[in-house]
Amino acid sequence: MAPLAQLLIGIGAISAVTTVLAVIMVIADATIANYGDVQIKINDEKEVTVEGGKPLLGSLMEEKIFIPSACGGRGSCGMCKVKVISDVGDYLPTELPWISEEEKAQNIRLSCQLKLKKDIAIQIPEELFNVREYECEVASLVDLTYDIKQIILRLKEPAEIKFKAGQYIQFQVPEYELTSESVYRAYSMASQPSRKNEVELEIRLVPNGICTTYIFEHLKEGDTVTINGPYGDFHLRDTDARIIFIAGGSGNAPIKSILYSMMETNNTREALYFFGARAVRDLFLFDEMKELEKNLANFRYIPALSEPLPEDNWKGETGLITDVLDRHINSAENTEAYLCGSPGMIDAAVSVLTKNGIPEEKIYYDKFA
Amino acid sequence: MGASPMKQTVQMREIQDKMKPGVITRDGFLGTDSRNLIDILTEDDAEVKRLNLSHVQIAQRMRELRDAGKNGLGDFTSVPPHFEVRVDMVRGKLPCPFGHPGLIQKTNIQVKNLEKKREITFTDMHIHMIGEHGFYEGKGSPFRLEIRDLIETLEIELPEE
Repeated sequence: MAPLAQLLIGIGAISAVTTVLAVIMVIADATIANYGDVQIKINDEKEVTVEGGKPLLGSLMEEKIFIPSACGGRGSCGMCKVKVISDVGDYLPTELPWISEEEKAQNIRLSCQLKLKKDIAIQIPEELFNVREYECEVASLVDLTYDIKQIILRLKEPAEIKFKAGQYIQFQVPEYELTSESVYRAYSMASQPSRKNEVELEIRLVPNGICTTYIFEHLKEGDTVTINGPYGDFHLRDTDARIIFIAGGSGNAPIKSILYSMMETNNTREALYFFGARAVRDLFLFDEMKELEKNLANFRYIPALSEPLPEDNWKGETGLITDVLDRHINSAENTEAYLCGSPGMIDAAVSVLTKNGIPEEKIYYDKFA
Repeated sequence: MGASPMKQTVQMREIQDKMKPGVITRDGFLGTDSRNLIDILTEDDAEVKRLNLSHVQIAQRMRELRDAGKNGLGDFTSVPPHFEVRVDMVRGKLPCPFGHPGLIQKTNIQVKNLEKKREITFTDMHIHMIGEHGFYEGKGSPFRLEIRDLIETLEIELPEE
């Protein structure tokens, strides 16, 4: 046979084989990998039916049930843990790095890695049923300090958000020049619940941060952004106890939300707010907090600067916020404390509070962790 | 003559992809370094070994200064014999680009050596990447830690010959 004919026959044979293999793969994918509809039973009460084969996290999201995630389901944040009641097989290699031995004993799974191949029963915190995704418009961007911006987002769809003062949302950073995928970052809401058509955030610039670079260098008024929430257990407990608030920097946001909520509900509980900053340039919303002293029945704002500059002409408290706190606590009777800031600041503040007789179970905090 | 570049595995390639700008951090971890990750690691490892030190020792010293600096609650605090350290945390954690389990707190640690008049800044991520993976970032990265600079500023003691 002529060489050219042999070559053509060979090419034809290879093409035929690859075509057959491709058809087999398509049929296999449509049949073997077709899990049909799968039922997810949630907290023994709610049931949803979803298309099988997809990760649990994404399937729940399609049903408007949002499990917290900072990485959008890529398995790199470990946040989207869910307790699984039914048998779904062994842990995947991609789950294991995020699951402790204690969590394994409770069958906690990483929902972004768990593909739904059969019906499943899960347990999630009840408050997650209140979490929604919101499309918002950036209504304003204001510099509070050289490295903290205030952002007000006007809600478009849905137009209202329901939350407790002190909770946080997840802000979605879309793909932009620096990223090829969206990421999520958590920020406390500084607005109070009565402002249900908007969300106010106080965001501090993080060196080399993907989200804060986007917010500080790219985001403009009028832009559309997506958030989801609310999340978190940091909120004012319904008691008559005296309140001690402690925060520094962007830790102010949830405290501000709680204070305004107290003002609007005519809450007359005694409250002291210790706010730590380094110098006057780091102290923001000073006038607003002093105004709150007039509008809240029993509130005192105590800012403290750890390194005031000579030109600051600072006449207020100086030193570390924990030292200032220690000087001011004169009684532990019927007192609760609410703290927001870095783990180091919170640990130090908890130490001072317990030393002064305030029990740990009456100390609530939102660590930057 | 330098050693021939080592062959980079698929896994190492995937890690290197995670180190690019915009994946975990804005600038990533590689800078303008055009070498394969395996070569970056090999060459830094060789330098640390030439100094008779280990990555674990270097990370341990960084950790010591960070822990001492935490008492400042975000301000500079004195750390004997002649250091000032500032530890600043922000909300959030980052995953290790090497796929190490867990998340790493976003912490900036500024160390001033008052006697030598030198200063260096590193993060919890650096402490982890150096201690667990021997990675100091790529050349040209704004956050690359040069080994000699680290050792001299933090006064990591070299073993006696």
